[in-house]
Amino acid sequence: MNFDKIRQDFPILNKVTYLDSACMSLKPIQVIDKINEYYKEYPGCGGRGMHSISKKVDEEVLNARKEIQKLLNIKKEDQIVFSKNTTESLNLVYNGLKINGGIITTDKEHNSNLVPVIRLCKKNGLKHTTIGSKDGIFDLEEFKEKMNRDVKLVSMVHTSNLDGSTIPAKEIIKIAHENGALTMLDGAQSAPHKEIDLKKLDVDLFACSGHKMLGPTGIGMLYGKEEILDKMEQFILGGETVTNSTYNSYEIEKVPNRFEAGLQHYSGIIGFGEACRYLRKVGMDNIVKQELKVNQIIDDGLRNIEGVSILGPEDVGLRPGITSFNYKNKDVHQIALLLDHSKKIMMRSGQHCVHSWFNKHNIKGSVRASLYLYNNEEDANKLVDGFKQVTKILG
Amino acid sequence: MICVIAMVVFGILGIFSVRYRTIAKESFECVFKRITFRPCTTGLDERLKGQITGRLMKKSPKVAAFTYKHFEVFSWFFLILLIGSLIYSGIGAYNLIAHGNCNGPDSDDICIFNPATYPEDVDCECTIDGDCTCPEGECTCLDGQCVP
Repeated sequence: MNFDKIRQDFPILNKVTYLDSACMSLKPIQVIDKINEYYKEYPGCGGRGMHSISKKVDEEVLNARKEIQKLLNIKKEDQIVFSKNTTESLNLVYNGLKINGGIITTDKEHNSNLVPVIRLCKKNGLKHTTIGSKDGIFDLEEFKEKMNRDVKLVSMVHTSNLDGSTIPAKEIIKIAHENGALTMLDGAQSAPHKEIDLKKLDVDLFACSGHKMLGPTGIGMLYGKEEILDKMEQFILGGETVTNSTYNSYEIEKVPNRFEAGLQHYSGIIGFGEACRYLRKVGMDNIVKQELKVNQIIDDGLRNIEGVSILGPEDVGLRPGITSFNYKNKDVHQIALLLDHSKKIMMRSGQHCVHSWFNKHNIKGSVRASLYLYNNEEDANKLVDGFKQVTKILG
Repeated sequence: MICVIAMVVFGILGIFSVRYRTIAKESFECVFKRITFRPCTTGLDERLKGQITGRLMKKSPKVAAFTYKHFEVFSWFFLILLIGSLIYSGIGAYNLIAHGNCNGPDSDDICIFNPATYPEDVDCECTIDGDCTCPEGECTCLDGQCVP
């Protein structure tokens, strides 16, 4: 795979070194062109009109569903519910699914999968259990110990945005199912970076965002097994969620339409589909290999600098897309600012919406280099060299 | 202390642009917290420190390191300069209102707000001998030009 050619699809890389893909991925020109195509050539409503523009929108939306279906290996495209982003998908589940028992999460949950759980448990008097990590790796033994038939939902971050580590999802799902619990994965960081086979994984619910996987902002999706989506209540009701209504009743639509209320973000959906097509063309295995190659240089370079401590598993192979680090307890925002204004290196600093983990470990925050398919060895070397200069400033 | 400078500078720029108004508001919040003996939580001071040092790093890492290390000292220095220039500006404004001249009642010095203090144009030229064509004592010839 020619990754130098891939970089040409992201013109902004001529100006900056972009290492914040865990927050927002860049968009290739193919995706931008596809979004523009909607606005230029068929900017109509989907699912409503009979005219040719409306039908074209329906066709393109269906194509997008099929692209996502192929990328994530989903049985039927109707199992994909479009949402605003992963957060909204997760909230749809917490508001629509009846959970009459305990909920288990990991210790590295993003606020999007932690805060709704805390609220739900407080509201309904449910037990919330958190599974910890050992040396940055999910503690499967602790999970086995704490898993029992009182637990009704195991909802976990698949790949952590904090340190890039991935949980052993297949084993966790198997154990949860043996105990009669439903499973949900926050795939915001896994879907863009590794091959996801939802059929093989056998997870009940899976959420991800378009903007982290080369797609536009404001579009995400929720995958669910048919029987679970059928049981779920709607979070928002409105146009296209019903087949008929009277002044005092309504007939609900089938899945996924019943969850997609109101006029949809068609350009976003179409762009998301194009992004999935792009990713499939490159190949998820190639993406992992490229990220690992680049991250290895960053890891080696940073470890050689005295005072640097890297969060998460020591083995970079267990966190191929992310290196999150601290330097001598120095202010992490200063590090990010200095790298930006001196070397045009864009990195995230802070607690990355995982405040709970930082609070537990009494760490103020970290600087995070998060990679994607468009990053290369040159980016890694720029970061290491740039950071060496920053250490001289910080002392 | 950088927040005080930022508040004044961005407060003036904020009159003309919304972009700077947000920073001015942030710096005011920061200053208000500092004068009430609370830490600045907006992060503006740290952001300005990082931005200024980062830009300096491109020119000279040594200067950048020195600035970063003594940033608070520089902030105080520029704050004193700012206060000084504000005091002098205030005195000038008072003089202008009270006496029609920025420099005080008995001054003939130039005041940019008062055209009456501008020097009159000298209508003469330097001769080959280095003298001026105007009446003696009114001007002198300097570097080929007649000046009052």
